[in-house]
Amino acid sequence: MPANDTLPCTAGIGLRAPHYREVLRDLPKLGWVEVHNENFFGGGAPLHTLLKVREHYPVSLHGVGMGLASATPLDDAHLSALRKLCDAVQPASVSEHLCWNTAAGLVINDLLPFPYTNNALEHVARRVEQVQEKLGRQLLVENLSSYLSFTHSEMTEGEFLAELTRRTGCGILFDVENLYVNVRNLGVDAEAFIKVIPADAVKEYHLAGFSERDGCLVDTHNRPVYAEVWELYETVLRHIGPRPTLIEWDSDIPALPVLMAEAAKAQQRLEEHDACIA
Amino acid sequence: MLALHEDLHAFANTIVHGDAASPQIVPSYINYSAEIAVDIYRNNYRGNLHDALAGAYPVIKQLVGDNFFRFMAGKYTDVYPSRSANLHHYGAELATFLTAFAPAQELVYLADVAVLEWTCHVAYFADDIATLDINRLALIPPEQYPELILHIHPACRMVRSRYPVAAIWRAHQPGADCDFHIDLDSGPCIALVNRQADAVQVEELRENFSAWLQAMQDGISMGAAIDATLARYPDFDLATSLQKLVAQNILTGFNLGVSI
Repeated sequence: MPANDTLPCTAGIGLRAPHYREVLRDLPKLGWVEVHNENFFGGGAPLHTLLKVREHYPVSLHGVGMGLASATPLDDAHLSALRKLCDAVQPASVSEHLCWNTAAGLVINDLLPFPYTNNALEHVARRVEQVQEKLGRQLLVENLSSYLSFTHSEMTEGEFLAELTRRTGCGILFDVENLYVNVRNLGVDAEAFIKVIPADAVKEYHLAGFSERDGCLVDTHNRPVYAEVWELYETVLRHIGPRPTLIEWDSDIPALPVLMAEAAKAQQRLEEHDACIA
Repeated sequence: MLALHEDLHAFANTIVHGDAASPQIVPSYINYSAEIAVDIYRNNYRGNLHDALAGAYPVIKQLVGDNFFRFMAGKYTDVYPSRSANLHHYGAELATFLTAFAPAQELVYLADVAVLEWTCHVAYFADDIATLDINRLALIPPEQYPELILHIHPACRMVRSRYPVAAIWRAHQPGADCDFHIDLDSGPCIALVNRQADAVQVEELRENFSAWLQAMQDGISMGAAIDATLARYPDFDLATSLQKLVAQNILTGFNLGVSI
């Protein structure tokens, strides 16, 4: 297997089932690809495909089901499946969301927000440590797009992530679109968020499109990145610096060239930033 | 820990069971109220489970149509909430649900098609196992053949139905001929589900082949499996059947031993 064990500081795409065949046939020029862990947990045909992809591209494993903040013990079967997948794929990066999905005996297959309290911080930090120990590597934790917030939060999400990084050594996957959604929905202060998270802990950016429902921006990943999000991305690049950047597109998935054109826009901004620094 | 536990417990019940939102959820935001936000989470919850079912049961969805499928998925979710953080696990009980689902009783074959589709879904994710190197088998002295226990690929499963479920399944695959006629009274069907080159395949089996394959899946030795099959089906052709297993990568290995 080629040494694709770090993500290059270029633009990548979220690789989803409709594009597997085309990518493997044409081997288009992609910096790297990211896939959702759970699609490969069973092994079988999907894993077989992913291992072929991995021969040509660095792969980032992005989880949607670990439930780092869930109020139940970490799901050992889920964690073991992730470990097994990491052993097989040797990914360049492994990430999860700052959210929960299990409580009261109910599993809610979504990315749910929780109050940012000291109590929650201790809980999540312990679980991030457990995951990192099991995987024997750093986990990147992604900021969430939320549609509501809690009256008894004791800190901002940015402060929570910064402290989580300090306590556990985890990295941060900075989803710029999620931050934008939170700014517009909840009135989160983007500047304060960018300022409070430690730049050297940020290892990756996400960009995506959202939609709007009854006045609320919803993180649907179903369209191109909006101009306002590109603008925020440029601000983030200036303050934090260039990092591997992913275009996520998960529903109404377009033809591969459309996705690649979005990635090219991110690539252009990464290069402009480099030129600026030089 | 207790405080977080209580917050999440209340929020989970708000999303799944429709409980009122906790007063600790901020009631209004820049452009909408907490009710809107809660509605979005409730819709996401049900929508994600609907999409998981639609992914696992594409043939059922075509058979009943999108609107009925959405209605059915909603009812299924009421009875069978999600139990796994992996959405690919969701929907295992759809066949059981359909046997008692009054609005679909006229489609007598629907539950059996659901069994077949779930078997295909499981086969798609079944572990990849190297198939048998036939040269290894050639090293076994022929007098030991009766003691051979052949190992069958975990993706390989049989589904039995009194309806022609394999034909129904095939007629609803992408690219299938739209102009088909299926006779529901064409007699029982044994469908073989298998994965080859990353694609799940379904084909109909004859009774004698399926009896023999079932014996081997049960871990019975070649000798005993052949004897039992021939006793019931004197026309069973071992050579052709073995070739079929090899050609379709269904054999993964063997051991010599006492039949279990």
